[in-house]
Amino acid sequence: MKIYEDLRSAQQRLDGLQNGLLALVALLLLQFWLLQGVHSKHYRELAENNRIRTLSIAAPRGMLTDRNGNILAENKPAFRIVVTMGPSGSVDRISGTLSSLLKVDEAEIRQKLSRPRAAYQPVTIKTKATFEDVAAVEARRREMPEVSVEVVPVRSYPLARSAAHVVGRVGEVTDRQLKQPAFADFEPGRLVGQSGLEALYNEDLTGTDGLRRMVVNSRGVEIELSEDQPARGGGAVELTLSTDLQAAMEGAFANRAGSAAALDPFTGEILGLVSSPGFDPNSFTSGIERTVWEGLTRDPRTPLLNRAVQGQYAPGSLFKVVVAAAALEEGLISPESTTFCPGYASIYGHVFKCNRPSGHGVVSLGRALGDSCNVYFYQLGARLEIERIAAYARKFGLGSVTGVDLPSEARGLIPDTAWKERLFKAPWYQGETISVSIGQGQVLATPLQMARMMAAIANGGRLVRPHIVRLVAGKPAVYEPAVSMGFKPSTIAAIRRGLFMAVNSGGSGQHAHIAEVEVAGKTGSAQVVSSAKLTKDIEAIQPHAWFAGFAPFDSPRIVLAVLVDHGGSGGAAAAPVARAIFARFLLPRSLSPVERRVSP
Amino acid sequence: MLRRLFQGLDYPLIGLTLLLSSLGVAMIASATQDTRLEGLWVGQAGAIAIGVLLLLVVAATDYRKLADRSPVLLGIALVVLIATLAIAPRIAGTKRWLSVGPVQFQPSEFAKIVAALVIAKLFSEMKKESLGLGDLLVPATITGVLALTIAAAPDLGTAVSLLPMFFVGAFLAGLRYKSILILSGFLVVFGLISWEFLLRDYQKARIYSFLDPDLDPRGSGYQKKQSQIAVGSGGLTGKGYGEGSQTQLGYLPARQTDFIFSVLAEEFGFVGVGVTLGLYLALLWRCLDIARLARDRLGAILVSCLTATLTFQVVYNVAMVAGLLPVKGLPLPLMSAGRSSVLATFITLGLILSVRMRRFAN
Repeated sequence: MKIYEDLRSAQQRLDGLQNGLLALVALLLLQFWLLQGVHSKHYRELAENNRIRTLSIAAPRGMLTDRNGNILAENKPAFRIVVTMGPSGSVDRISGTLSSLLKVDEAEIRQKLSRPRAAYQPVTIKTKATFEDVAAVEARRREMPEVSVEVVPVRSYPLARSAAHVVGRVGEVTDRQLKQPAFADFEPGRLVGQSGLEALYNEDLTGTDGLRRMVVNSRGVEIELSEDQPARGGGAVELTLSTDLQAAMEGAFANRAGSAAALDPFTGEILGLVSSPGFDPNSFTSGIERTVWEGLTRDPRTPLLNRAVQGQYAPGSLFKVVVAAAALEEGLISPESTTFCPGYASIYGHVFKCNRPSGHGVVSLGRALGDSCNVYFYQLGARLEIERIAAYARKFGLGSVTGVDLPSEARGLIPDTAWKERLFKAPWYQGETISVSIGQGQVLATPLQMARMMAAIANGGRLVRPHIVRLVAGKPAVYEPAVSMGFKPSTIAAIRRGLFMAVNSGGSGQHAHIAEVEVAGKTGSAQVVSSAKLTKDIEAIQPHAWFAGFAPFDSPRIVLAVLVDHGGSGGAAAAPVARAIFARFLLPRSLSPVERRVSP
Repeated sequence: MLRRLFQGLDYPLIGLTLLLSSLGVAMIASATQDTRLEGLWVGQAGAIAIGVLLLLVVAATDYRKLADRSPVLLGIALVVLIATLAIAPRIAGTKRWLSVGPVQFQPSEFAKIVAALVIAKLFSEMKKESLGLGDLLVPATITGVLALTIAAAPDLGTAVSLLPMFFVGAFLAGLRYKSILILSGFLVVFGLISWEFLLRDYQKARIYSFLDPDLDPRGSGYQKKQSQIAVGSGGLTGKGYGEGSQTQLGYLPARQTDFIFSVLAEEFGFVGVGVTLGLYLALLWRCLDIARLARDRLGAILVSCLTATLTFQVVYNVAMVAGLLPVKGLPLPLMSAGRSSVLATFITLGLILSVRMRRFAN
C-alpha cells in the first residue's frame, strides 16, 4: 500500500467542483435579486393584501318622514350569513353543512364561493336570515370560523304600500348607473334609490360608508385594528306629505285604478299623492324575487307607474277653466254674458254635440262651468282660436313640467299650430280647436298639473310650484315662491263662482257636496282614444273620470285633483272620491286636520 | 490526544458552522414567537450543543477505521430503515420517524453519512487512473438500494440527495469525461422519455402525491407562493427582526423548518440573504479545500461526498424558498429546526474535520 497516493487529478477536479459551487450560489443570488430588488414592490403589495383585511361598513340610509314626523322609510337590522375565506380556504369543508343548516341549495353555495374574489372578501350566502339560521351558524362557529353573521341595515317601509310611488324603492345599482359619475363610488350589488324620492335624493340619503382595516393572521383571525372610520348615516328627508291624509286618499280609491293629488293651494306643498294600484317597496329591499318583479312589470294596470306625475290624460272639462279664464282676460265675455245652448253647435260647417242632448237653454258662465255646457265653450274656443287657448294654458303651467321634486315627471301636451307643423307637417284645422276647448283632442295633462291649475283658482291667481320635500338633512328645501298669473280679480272670482255652482247648485259636481264645508270644483271625462274600442272590454272604453276642486270655498286649505281610470263620468265616479277625501281632511271628527306649518 | 484534537481542528470551519447555527436559532425564535412553538429555539440550541460534542467525538475518530467498517454500518442502516418502515407511526402520511425512548429521530438523515462512507470506500479502492461506466455498477447498486429504502418512507428529498453524493464520488475517483457525457445524456433522455411517453398525467399526479404527500397540501402552489411573497416583500434591507408580516401572521408555511430561509429573507432582506449565502459558500468552499488537503483518495472522496450532500441540501432548500424548485421536505442544514438534521450535519462536519486532522502523518 502506497503511503502517499497521487491525488493530483482529484485535486484538479476539486477546483471544478468549487467553480460549480460558486456558479450555483451566484445563480441563487440572481434569483433573490429579482425577487427582492426588481419585483419587491409587487410582493410587498401581495404581503399587504395578505395582512390587511378591509371591510366596508354600510352607512344607514337617511329616514323619510311625513310632515308630522311619521316614518315612511327607515332601516331595520337584518341578518346576513356571509363566508369570509382566506387564500387557502376549502369550499368542500363547509358547503354541505351550510346547505343543510340554511336550507340553501349546495350547488348555489359552491357557485357563489367559487367565483373569483380577493382573499377575505366576504361572500353573502343568505340575505334575510332568520333567527334559526343565526342560531345554527353561531353554534358552529368553532367548526366553521369562515362563516359569520353580519348585521346590516335594511330599508324598511313601515307603511308598506302607502305613498309607495312618492317614497320609491331601492334596488341594486344597475350597470348603467355604475357608468355615471354620481355612482362612481358604488360597488356592484349596492342598494341605491331606484324610483321616487329614494332615487331623487339618493345622494343625500346615502351617507358615507365606514371602513375597517384589520390586521389578520393566516387563519383569518383579527390581530389588531389598523384603521376605523365609522359610517356616517345619510341625511333624513322630511316630506310635506301627511300620512293620515295619504291613507284617507288611498282608502277612498279602494281597489280602483287612478290617481289623486292634494296640494296646499297657497304654498304648493303636496299633502297627499296617490297612484293606484301601488306596490310594496319592502319587496325590493333585499333583492326582489323574479316572479314578483315580472308580476309588477307585466301587470296591465302598471302598478310601478306614478300616475300622479307620469300619467298623461286628456283633462276633459277641467280644461274649461283655462278657456273661461282666457275668454274673460281677453274681454270676449264678461262674467254676466250668456249664450243659448240648443244641445249642439254648428261651427265651421260641422255639428258638435253638447253633453246634454236636450240643451242647457240660456247659460251664463257660472252655469256653463257648473253644468259643464260644451256648447258655451265650443263658441268661446272658436272665438279665441288655438294660439290664445294655448297661451293661457301655459300660464296655468300646462304643457310643461311643474318642477315637482319627483323623478320622471311628464310634461303633458298643449297643442298649437307650431306643434302640429313640427310633428305632422300639417296645418292646424280649426275644427281641432273645438275639441281642445273642451279638453279633448291632443290636450294632455297629469293629475298634478290639474291640481296646480286648480290651486291657482283657489288662491286667487298665483301659480305655485308643487313640491313634496320640506327638509333635507335638517336644511329647509327652498323653492321659488308662487308667481302671479296676472289675471284680473274678477276673472278668478267668476271662475270660482262657476266651480261653486258645479258642486253646490245641482251641477255636475254635486256628488262632491258636503253639508258642513263649502266645496268648489269641476268634473271632467277624458275620452279614451284607443284601440280598446275594438276590443270587447267594456271597462276599457269608459272615459277616465276627473274631479278637481278645493275647499273650504272662502279660505281654501286643500286643493284636490282626482282621476279614476276608466271611471266613466267625472260626476259619478270621481266626485264621490273627492268628497270622501275632503270630508276626511276638513271634518275634525273623521280626521285630525293637518297641522298648518308656514313654509319657509 | 485532546491537545492534538484541538490543535488539528479547523477553527474557521467551526466558526462558520456556529455562526450559521446561531443565525438559525435566532430565526427560529422569530418564526415561533407568540405561537405554541415558542421556545423551540432553546431545544435547537441544545441540539447544537450536543452536535458540537458529537462533532468533536467524530473528529477524533479516524475516518479510515469508520470507512473500513462501512459494510457493517450499511447493514445496520438498512435494518434500521426497514424497521422504521415496519414499526414507525405514520406522521403526516410518512414513516420517517423512529422513537427510541423519548427521543425521536429520522434514520434517513444518518443513513446519508453511512452512504458517503460506503461510496467513498468503494471508489477509493478502485486504484485506476480513470474509471469507465462499468466500474460504477457496484457503488450504483448499493446507492440505489439505499436510496429506494429511504424513498419508500416516503422521503424523496433525502433519497435524491444521495445522487449528487454518488456522482461527485465517481467524478473524483476519475470517471472519464466521455463516460460522464454518456451517463448524463442517457439520464436526460431516459428521464424525458419516461416523463413524456410512459407516464400519463394522472399517473404523474399519483406519483407526486404518493412519493411526496406534503406537496401542496393546502391548495395549488400555496406554499411556494407565500414563500415568494415573504422573500420578495423583504426588499433590500428587510422588515426587521421579528417584524416580517408573512412570518409573524402565519402566512408562511413550515416557517421554523423547511422555510426558515424565507423568514431570514423577509426580515433581513437581500442584504441578509447575501451575507448568509456568503457564509454557506465559505463553509462549503472550505470543505472542498479540506478535500484537496486530504492525504488519501478515501479522505478526498469522503469529504467531497459529504460536501456534495450538504451543498445539495443548501442549494435545493434555498432554490425552493425562492420558488425555483418544487416544494420538498428538505431542511436547510444548520438553520432549520430539527434535531436529526442538526446532529447529522454536525456529524458530517465532524467527519470532514477528521479527514483534515489526519492530513499529514500516518
